[in-house]
Amino acid sequence: MGDVILTMKGIDKSFPGVHALDHVDLEVRRGEVHALMGENGAGKSTLMKVLTGIYTKDSGTITFEGKEVEFHNTREAQDAGIVIVHQELNMLGHLTVAQNIFFGREFKKGFGIDDKKMNEEAAKLFQKLNIDIDPTDTMSDLTVGKQQMCEIAKAISHEAKVIVFDEPSAALTETEIEELFKIIRDLRAQGLGIIYISHRMDEIKVITDRVTVMRDGTYVGTLITEECTKNDIINMMVGRVIYEDPKTHSMVPEGAPVVLKVEHLNAGKMVQDVSFELHKGEILGFSGLMGAGRTETARAIFGADPKESGKIYINGREVTINTPEDAVKYGIGYLSEDRKRYGVVVQKSVAENTTMATLKKFVNGIFINKKKEEQVAQDYVKSLDTKTPGIDQLVVNLSGGNQQKVVIAKWLTRDCDILIFDEPTRGIDVGAKNEIYKLMNKLAAEGKAIIMISSEMTEILRMSDRIVIMCEGKITGEIGIEEATQENIMNLATREIS
Amino acid sequence: MTNQNAVTAGKRKSSLEKLGGQKFIVLLVIVGLAIFFSVMSPAFRKYTTLVSILDYSYYIVLMSIGVTFPLITGGVDLSIGTGLICYSLVGGYLISFHGFPVWAGMLVTVLFGVAIGLLNGTLVAVMDIPPFLVTLCTCMITRGLGSIIVGGFGITWPTAAQPGGWFRSIFKINIAPRVMLPIGIIWVLILVAVMAYVLNHTQVGRYIIGIGSNKEAARLSGVNVKIYHISAYVISGLFAGLAAIAYSAIFTTVQPGTGAGFELEAIGGAIIGGVSASGGSGTVTGSLLGVFVICLLKTGLPFIGLQANWQQIITGLVLIGAVLIDVIKKRREVH
Amino acid sequence: MENLKKNPLVKKIGLNRILLVGVLIVMYVAFAVISPTFLSYSRIMSALNYVYFLGFLSLGVTFVIATGGIDFSIGPVMFCCALIAGYSLTSYGVPMALALVISILVGCCFGIFNGYLVAYWSVPPFIVSMASMNIAKGLASVFTKTQSVSWPQLSAEGGWYRYLVKVGNIPVGLFIFIGVAIICAIILNKTMIGRYILCLGSNKEAVRLSGVNVKRWEMTAYAICGVLVGIAAIFFVSAYTTVQPGYGDQYNNEAIAGCVMGGTSMAGGLASISGTVIGVFIIALLQEGILALGMNKNYQLIITGIIVIAAVYFDVLGRRRKN
Repeated sequence: MGDVILTMKGIDKSFPGVHALDHVDLEVRRGEVHALMGENGAGKSTLMKVLTGIYTKDSGTITFEGKEVEFHNTREAQDAGIVIVHQELNMLGHLTVAQNIFFGREFKKGFGIDDKKMNEEAAKLFQKLNIDIDPTDTMSDLTVGKQQMCEIAKAISHEAKVIVFDEPSAALTETEIEELFKIIRDLRAQGLGIIYISHRMDEIKVITDRVTVMRDGTYVGTLITEECTKNDIINMMVGRVIYEDPKTHSMVPEGAPVVLKVEHLNAGKMVQDVSFELHKGEILGFSGLMGAGRTETARAIFGADPKESGKIYINGREVTINTPEDAVKYGIGYLSEDRKRYGVVVQKSVAENTTMATLKKFVNGIFINKKKEEQVAQDYVKSLDTKTPGIDQLVVNLSGGNQQKVVIAKWLTRDCDILIFDEPTRGIDVGAKNEIYKLMNKLAAEGKAIIMISSEMTEILRMSDRIVIMCEGKITGEIGIEEATQENIMNLATREIS
Repeated sequence: MTNQNAVTAGKRKSSLEKLGGQKFIVLLVIVGLAIFFSVMSPAFRKYTTLVSILDYSYYIVLMSIGVTFPLITGGVDLSIGTGLICYSLVGGYLISFHGFPVWAGMLVTVLFGVAIGLLNGTLVAVMDIPPFLVTLCTCMITRGLGSIIVGGFGITWPTAAQPGGWFRSIFKINIAPRVMLPIGIIWVLILVAVMAYVLNHTQVGRYIIGIGSNKEAARLSGVNVKIYHISAYVISGLFAGLAAIAYSAIFTTVQPGTGAGFELEAIGGAIIGGVSASGGSGTVTGSLLGVFVICLLKTGLPFIGLQANWQQIITGLVLIGAVLIDVIKKRREVH
Repeated sequence: MENLKKNPLVKKIGLNRILLVGVLIVMYVAFAVISPTFLSYSRIMSALNYVYFLGFLSLGVTFVIATGGIDFSIGPVMFCCALIAGYSLTSYGVPMALALVISILVGCCFGIFNGYLVAYWSVPPFIVSMASMNIAKGLASVFTKTQSVSWPQLSAEGGWYRYLVKVGNIPVGLFIFIGVAIICAIILNKTMIGRYILCLGSNKEAVRLSGVNVKRWEMTAYAICGVLVGIAAIFFVSAYTTVQPGYGDQYNNEAIAGCVMGGTSMAGGLASISGTVIGVFIIALLQEGILALGMNKNYQLIITGIIVIAAVYFDVLGRRRKN
């Protein structure tokens, strides 16, 4: 580790109603991989956006190579030598790899662009990084992993001194992650400062030198990776004991009937030969890393995306589900991970969203029986304890937890027997989380069958009766809650598939 | 090493096919249509028919070259049709009623086009108004404006015999009695080559493709997307202005209130030629070929006894067909 | 202003609509002051004639814009309806009642065609509009052999259809228009059709994942638009009798102008029928006012164009502020 290249001190940033960053510190040295950790919403991304000039800070100082700096846009940050490799890829699918890498700063020849030189430079860059990509390939033809490598190549071509990796491994396969780590080690050896944001504890141990932990927009502390344990980091992240009453045994009564049976389901690369059973009154946890194919499986079952093959049985009867309409007909409800895009219509009211899936029950002829609609919406607001000024309130004005309750109300109105909760508590604060958990347990006790997809180990261990683990589009294991531990789940979730 | 080269060569070929595929089909369609009409009607086989197909194609080709750029950004320019008439009216009006020399009239025609393009671009890129709405409005505005400026009457540009008639020989010259040489096609081809270069090998073109492909990513790369977004519409306006000159040279008399529907032939041509209706990809040469399909239909149908209006219906259907191919191709890619 | 916004009555009616009515009244008074002939009965009737057909077009396109789409084939399609029905009437001896049905059917077919392509094949609405605009023009020209068509006068056989617009001095058309507008408002706000149209305009994917057949409802919006365009054609000929092939483009813009001015958002999900009605009145008044001031139709084209851009810009600004 060399001398300090970047210091952020006392960074403060507020948005209307939210104190996103509260005097956060961060220090990065040359030749260091510095992990930035924290739960969702801890403020990591905001901090990086302040660093790269996307947001302007309210107060605090950024010192880069000994000088105080302030960037007003990403371009200025880039020019100074600070670049970010985004989590979601910022690529131009229609252009070639080389054209993407040099987009915005093309080599010129007369009036034109010197594509030949760009291809050569890109090839050199890839050679240096030891990556096998043809610079003349069209970007959208590459795999996600290769696209990520191009993003990294682009970052390096800026002659960066500090590179921020924002969850770079989320969409990569094991081998691609190995390649990525090799590149990162090379960069470290060349004396660059690297900020590495990730949720994967194992990666942090393998690749980073120091860890800075954030929680709820504040700086918690910085540790030297070698000297700390996973639990040290986890404790700093959550600030509380992680295992809040995990389930010790299955709540499902012996011999509960199978309500949903999926056999040899295939849908693209992310869903390969998936088979499982779901019992009445069961909460079946789906665990795995991001990009393991869990959401894709749920969407394929629900008919949201087309499937290639496979059979689905509901209560023992084979059914054909081609559209969400079919799925809802058979009593399946799907609560998406991205509520605002796929769950609720935010510009419509609580009542309108509640009856979205069941409007047919609320019509006389073609007219909507608003009284009945309001009555039902009101009932659910009460029974789910949804915090809203009224059922006329637009959903956009509710908090994440309450929006989730509106979605739950939507499916309860349908009286669905099978509910798929995809990341049910993402973006929801701790208090509301517990309420959602209680609600799910209550539903299961009432005999609903629940599939719960979750990336949070705590959630999986706390809620599930049984756990299915997926990795790279395949089911790699199934564990009863009695035997489940963080380690054996993680093991299956990262298993190399030959 | 040789092996690896062979692999890359194979891959290159497939991407080349992907680029050239649709153009090749369109070319086949053109040849097929030409053969079909020639077989069906002896009159179609005459040299004069060829000249008249070319005559009628210039202004549409020029509009089509221009509108390719907004289409690639994911937008559209519906104002080019009535715009063309407006610019031509104003230029002709200045020449016939205010004694402007022909070159000055032509210059005004083109500059007017550029100005409307600039207006469209600003409204779309800076004020975030949906492109089809902006250009639908400027389509109406130019239609009204043209009429108002010239006082509601038809305008006649100088004929070949009149002083200032020289400009007509830009597009067609007499080489012998009653034998015309359609040299306009040379200019058109040169412009196609220039704009193809601009689209594929300059920053303007590169950034316009970037905007159509992923505007946010282009912006985050530090590109001033607004300027390049505007420039796409300016190019479209410029070429509508050039098309106005071609139109004046071929048809001489321009009537206010006309021009609606020209844009459809130009946009339809571009889309048939492979410009993606959702933006991001397209070629200028493709647009050229696409327009020729429409022009052939337009000229050829009357030769086989169908009214020219059938061409409108067929153009509409072909346009939808072309987009459907695009849609189906994309659906298949997703799977 | 803030206090005004909180007034319960204002809240119920909507500040925008009150402002719009204000604009309408101010315009009316201004034109009346500038041009004394403006208050004459014939001027009012002439303005109403314009309101009818434009109003139906505008109501129709409101449904389409509510889904987040657009249809600017409505003007030429209206002419196509009037031409095909009229030509059947004059050249094939079809009875008047049937001709009116044909008009509506033709409109409906175009609506379903547009809607099918947009909803089931995800063809961008503006492309579909362009194509069907051309098809409508071509079809009408081919069908009528490029002749203009004159519908019968009141005194002629089958002339009763003109009573749809006015009986004696009573503007019957106004009542019909308001009646249809009320039905549209009920469909949009009180029925399943309207609920789904508005919701899918706001977030199509969320509605689809609620198990709703969004494609069908999206197509329904275009079909409703088509039917209203067919009705618009009837009122156009009732007022003006003669239709020429190859025209109708300009009415697209005016119809969309009425709709957008009335507060229907181009982004979809938000639509107001009463707003559209007021917007249409403003456009029609503008048209008469411009004529009364001795300016020609061309000024109206320009002014409408500017109004639409301004109205949409305010919509864009409003949404930006919310985010």
